[in-house]
Amino acid sequence: MFMKKKLEYPVNIKQTNPKLAKIIISQYGGPDGELGASLRYLSQRFTMPLPELKGTLTDIGTEELGHLEMIGAIVYQLTKNLTVEEIKEQGFEDYFVDHTTGVYPQSASGFPFTTASIAVKGDAITDIHEDMAAEQKARTTYDNILRFCDDYDVKDAIRFLREREVVHYQRFGENLRLLTDKLDSKNFYAFNPEFDTKCFKNQMKKKI
Amino acid sequence: MAAVTEREILIKKISTYQFAALDLQLFLDTHPNDRKTLMKMKEYRDMAEPLIEEYEKKYGPLTKDMTSTNNWRWIRGPWPWENEEDTDVCL
Repeated sequence: MFMKKKLEYPVNIKQTNPKLAKIIISQYGGPDGELGASLRYLSQRFTMPLPELKGTLTDIGTEELGHLEMIGAIVYQLTKNLTVEEIKEQGFEDYFVDHTTGVYPQSASGFPFTTASIAVKGDAITDIHEDMAAEQKARTTYDNILRFCDDYDVKDAIRFLREREVVHYQRFGENLRLLTDKLDSKNFYAFNPEFDTKCFKNQMKKKI
Repeated sequence: MAAVTEREILIKKISTYQFAALDLQLFLDTHPNDRKTLMKMKEYRDMAEPLIEEYEKKYGPLTKDMTSTNNWRWIRGPWPWENEEDTDVCL
């Protein structure tokens, strides 16, 4: 995975398909892509009030960088050694004219990566809900990508990434429960546990 | 098209054990006192270890911690997104 000279899960695509690459690139730099996921989690973690949350956001945020690397590998392998004829046939000219076959973080519609599609609210309850929604949005995007894949090698890697979204959703759900278990059960959602520390059942010690 | 190489088979084995350990590490983040899972995670990590050693001896470093050779083999391909067929134009 990222920081190791290997992918988290191998990507070995034998057949190029630039048309498909243009769709899959959305998980590189699109609104629910891996770059946004990584930045969201690695940024949210600094002010989290529980050790479990800091650990989960650090580890999932790092894993997302590994997924970014996998998506980059998929796009690279789908667009390797293309001829001008193939580029024309597959409607890849619009991407090619700006980036040749370089891997640029953009959505399937060509919109460049933007942090406007992620949030860091500084409120653990709000941020965990955002994270759970983000995992589901990415899962939906992978399901949509799979509707346009007929190559086994591509499907295999995409299915792995889709499955990880489901696992991450579960881990964030556990974190939400770990947090609410420590809050005043009269109303979990009326306070910001990162700022209004009075909402904790047992007054939180500042030192964690 | 290229057949699956011995290097790729070995890296797949390493990835399998390392992924099993990684997934359990994530579980441990929210279940830090689950001793059984902790043992299982260590088991998978230990299973990967001799394979990593074998890989690095044959094909070069997987991380930058490996410094046993006398030149910087880190930059030698194939990189994670490449296969044996990829070569650098300048070589």
